[in-house]
Amino acid sequence: MKENSLWKDAFKRLIQDKMALASLVVVVIYSLIAVLAATGLIASDWAKEVGASNLPPSAEHWFGTDIFGRDVLAKVLHGTQIAMSVGLFTSLIAIPIGVILGALAGYFGGWVDDFITWLYTTFSSIPNIMLLISITMILGKGLFAVYIALGATSWVTLCRLIRGEVMKHKEREYVQAAGAIGGGHFRKLFLHILPNVTHIVIINTSLQFQFAIKSEVILSYLGLGVQGEPSWGTMIDDAKLELARGVWWQLVGATAAMFLVVLAFNLLGDALRDSLDPKLKGK
Amino acid sequence: MIKYIVRRLLYLIPVLLGVSFIIFVLFNLVSGDPTAVLLGKNATARQMAELREQLGLNKPLLDQYFDVVKSAFTFDFGRSWATKQEISQMIIQGAYPSLTLTVPAFVFATILSLIISLVVAFYRGKGIDLFVRFMCIAGVSVSALAYILFFQYFFAYQLGWFEISGFEYGFPDFVPFIALPAIIFVLLSLGPDVRFFRTVILDEIYQDYVRTARAKGLSEVVILLKHVLRNALIPIITYVVIQIPTLILGALLLENFFSIPGLGGITLNALNSSDFPVIKAMAILSSVLYIILSLVTDVLYTFADPRVKLK
Amino acid sequence: MTSPLLSVRNLVVDFQTGEGVTRAVNNISFDIPAGKTIGIVGESGSGKSVTSLAIMGLLQKPAATIPQGEIIFNGQNLLEYNDAQMRQIRGDKISMIFQEPMTSLNPVFKVGDQIAETIRIHRKISAKEAWDRAVDLMNQVGIPNPSASAHKYPHEMSGGQKQRVMIAMAIACEPKLLIADEPTTALDVTIQKQVLDLLFSLQQKYHMSMLFITHDLGVIGDIADDVVVMYRSNVVEKNNAKEIFYTAKHPYTKGLLACRPKLGANPRRLLTVSDFMDEAGVEKHVSPERVVVFDKETEREKSSDILLEVKNLVTQFPIKGGFFGRTVDHFKAVNDVSFKLKKGQTLGLVGESGCGKTTLGRSILRLVEPASGSIIYDGKDITNVYAEELRLLRRKMQIIFQDPYSSLNPRMTISEILTEPLNIHNVGNGRKERLDMAKELFEKVGLNVAQLNRYPHEFSGGQRQRICIARALMLRPEFVVCDESVSALDVSVQAQVLNLLLDLQQEFHLTYVFISHDLSVVNFIADEVGVMNAGKIIEMDKASNIYKNPKEEYTRALLSAIPKGLVKSDLSALV
Repeated sequence: MKENSLWKDAFKRLIQDKMALASLVVVVIYSLIAVLAATGLIASDWAKEVGASNLPPSAEHWFGTDIFGRDVLAKVLHGTQIAMSVGLFTSLIAIPIGVILGALAGYFGGWVDDFITWLYTTFSSIPNIMLLISITMILGKGLFAVYIALGATSWVTLCRLIRGEVMKHKEREYVQAAGAIGGGHFRKLFLHILPNVTHIVIINTSLQFQFAIKSEVILSYLGLGVQGEPSWGTMIDDAKLELARGVWWQLVGATAAMFLVVLAFNLLGDALRDSLDPKLKGK
Repeated sequence: MIKYIVRRLLYLIPVLLGVSFIIFVLFNLVSGDPTAVLLGKNATARQMAELREQLGLNKPLLDQYFDVVKSAFTFDFGRSWATKQEISQMIIQGAYPSLTLTVPAFVFATILSLIISLVVAFYRGKGIDLFVRFMCIAGVSVSALAYILFFQYFFAYQLGWFEISGFEYGFPDFVPFIALPAIIFVLLSLGPDVRFFRTVILDEIYQDYVRTARAKGLSEVVILLKHVLRNALIPIITYVVIQIPTLILGALLLENFFSIPGLGGITLNALNSSDFPVIKAMAILSSVLYIILSLVTDVLYTFADPRVKLK
Repeated sequence: MTSPLLSVRNLVVDFQTGEGVTRAVNNISFDIPAGKTIGIVGESGSGKSVTSLAIMGLLQKPAATIPQGEIIFNGQNLLEYNDAQMRQIRGDKISMIFQEPMTSLNPVFKVGDQIAETIRIHRKISAKEAWDRAVDLMNQVGIPNPSASAHKYPHEMSGGQKQRVMIAMAIACEPKLLIADEPTTALDVTIQKQVLDLLFSLQQKYHMSMLFITHDLGVIGDIADDVVVMYRSNVVEKNNAKEIFYTAKHPYTKGLLACRPKLGANPRRLLTVSDFMDEAGVEKHVSPERVVVFDKETEREKSSDILLEVKNLVTQFPIKGGFFGRTVDHFKAVNDVSFKLKKGQTLGLVGESGCGKTTLGRSILRLVEPASGSIIYDGKDITNVYAEELRLLRRKMQIIFQDPYSSLNPRMTISEILTEPLNIHNVGNGRKERLDMAKELFEKVGLNVAQLNRYPHEFSGGQRQRICIARALMLRPEFVVCDESVSALDVSVQAQVLNLLLDLQQEFHLTYVFISHDLSVVNFIADEVGVMNAGKIIEMDKASNIYKNPKEEYTRALLSAIPKGLVKSDLSALV
């Protein structure tokens, strides 16, 4: 009977919070759209000309059409796939690096800590936007460069948080107790301390996702992101010139799609912090 | 305290070496041979070799690395590939429009955010607090691009209150050009700033010393403005100072939309023309600025927090 | 009789929580006469602190509500005052000292300014005058070199000094009533004594009334005229201190008085509150054999085998300093300690915070590496064993920590926690057998097997400490270090856990090193006692000898600082 585990408790608190539940639903829907778009089940015909150019929203084309007569809704859905994939791959790069380095630094201290601290201080000394621009420019424009660039900038925050938390837990008596019953470093760090800091990873990932999505939009707008496919960023870039001609639907479609998911991740991040971080309980 | 600052100063050396190493790896190792890009498809092998010599790409790697380190101190970044201009000159020219836009906006945004956060911290849990919290979270969820597009379209294009784009040197000539981007800058900063300041202030409000202050008979306003703010200032200083390096680039998008010939514009032009030396120079410049400002933060700490002096 | 200075009438305080409304204070009434000290005694969660915060008007709203009651001060009902009126009272007419001197002062202001601030809120005087008054107050509360100390920041002062600053701040406006909420709980016993003496003399000097809140009946006996006993949000007994101490009427009060070990002889097992009343609060008759005093020196079985010998042990920590943070010196936390411990016996290590007792306990177990000296366990030098040998040693030597809240991994179930040592050492065949072993011990420490699959946060502090004990015993060790293992517990729970430790010692033939700052507890449980100061054992003898004939000045100072549980009138008779 694991009904009473802290995770279950936290989850229960989370879904009792209506705002958090709604955010979770939004995130799940976006993930589904991304998966369906990636497998070609929806929005695969985004490149097809389906009507006249720049048609305003109608029953047939809910978000209207763009200058080439392509369906804006299909482009938005395809952009969802791009945005979510950036969030996902960035996290896949940043989490292992951040967690492992942070855990090692916090647990072993000494020169290991000195080295890792130096490493993330160095990385954080190059302003994010500059590092993003440099990496994407050098690796060649495209999604792959965006993944690497965002991954390279975002492990730093996680690493610092994990390091601090592991340091705190290392001194707790339950870890010393694990040593006293004969447990080694591996047991203490991976079986005892890490399960107690995973909430940091979860909260951070939620916020990381929205940061990655926002960054992708800006990088794509700057022409550094996805090439030859629609993304929310390139759609906004297109809209820049269209707005004066009264073509607003492409801008609104992309912005609204992004707003909703970023808002959901932000609210979810806050709700996760409230429900997972016992330190903040009661505030 | 002198000892503390000197120690912090010394710690900057490995960080600076690390930063220049990353930049060196990115621009000198990963980026590959730029001569093909520079000379186009019809270049002969001889031309390429000459250019390589000219750009210093034939030097040993260690020398190339030291060139990077050296440029961090001398600010001698060579010439732009695209415009053939001295990069340090370009930076000096671009700094003026950039700073006239960002500095006043940044100062104003910080002060305004602090005031708003103090007010909502005072009314924590009440309607206004919930409203501001929601507005902040909704505000940061809208793409910066959308704000800029909308404001530019509506206030400059439709209403004609401001200039749509361009820049004039000298006060007050630049005001109509930078006013709208500055307003957008402030709006963009409010969301994240208020969210951070509010959290920091509320963290302090639940400390024991606040209860002591209440037990003395102090009013909530005095407690907030004197006891709480003074303690909250410590994390706020870091947050604010560390943002400064991004100021020279933070207005990147704004400069782009409003065609302001600042450093952001230079960076984006360089990006479009694959002008590596300029990007490299901007990366070095902003990193050096970051490192210097983190030292400034450390020094400010010794004033804000008496506990620091001991360490 | 004149009307009291402050009178609490039928006070009820409720807290709104996620699960509903909790009643923190249930219809209590008491009076504080002018110039007298009232003590409120009760265990954690009894509602005593909430009562004091209600008087100060410092309850966190809107979570806390006061649906009923009056707090009459100088003929006025404070509960009808608005915020502005309450601020005039706070710090001026009624002031308060809190438990945590470490966090109760603002870290970024000079202490002199913090004291002066209090004065300037309520008196129209210049900054200079306020500062001079602050220095004078610091002198009155016994802070050395007050004019220089006023310029210090809180982190530059010791815990005792910070509490003196808090006191200076509280008496700055010569209040009519001083509320002290566990003001000495976070302090060492000798400092506690000084602070209590200071409060007592200041009360006389300024003719203040005092409301003194504590969990420690001993302390309250030293200082209070009248005592109010709170239990589960209710006042169960109030009377003058003498009556409470000598002829307590309520079974809870009796239990509370009995469960504290005395410095002299004690019964074989301590009496607990449950000896005096059942769960429903109905009084029980205490069986006579439970109160028979027991002489452990004659009655305990004697063994001559030495289990543990520590020779010239030194454990040091590097002091970082200089320009590059290199190690410039070493702090000898344990400095040349030697002792022998016989099988089945208990060595008590007693001393104040920072004396090195915890480091010594951990060094013996090799959880901290000693710098020199040797540890001989069961005839074998274990100072330099490593890897597999050290792991095997863990089966024989165990430790029980102080904090029952942080010593259990919150992400593991109790059965996982208890079977983990078995898994590490590959004891028992398979999951089923290990689980059975866990069950057996879980019952032995007095817990219900049905709760094995729960998580630590679902247990109370006392229950958690029992789980820690069970975990330490899972590998059937011979030797256990108990490091302040009962210090974080309420007195009535503390007695139960001490009894359990003694029962288990008998059943499993355990040898204990029992580390504590509390001399009465050590006296009760230990056969021999070592007094530690500055990393050394300065005196070591049979428990009773230490208490009857202390040889060292420091030991005598420690002993005289223990609250005697005497009432004030008796104390003044002694002077």
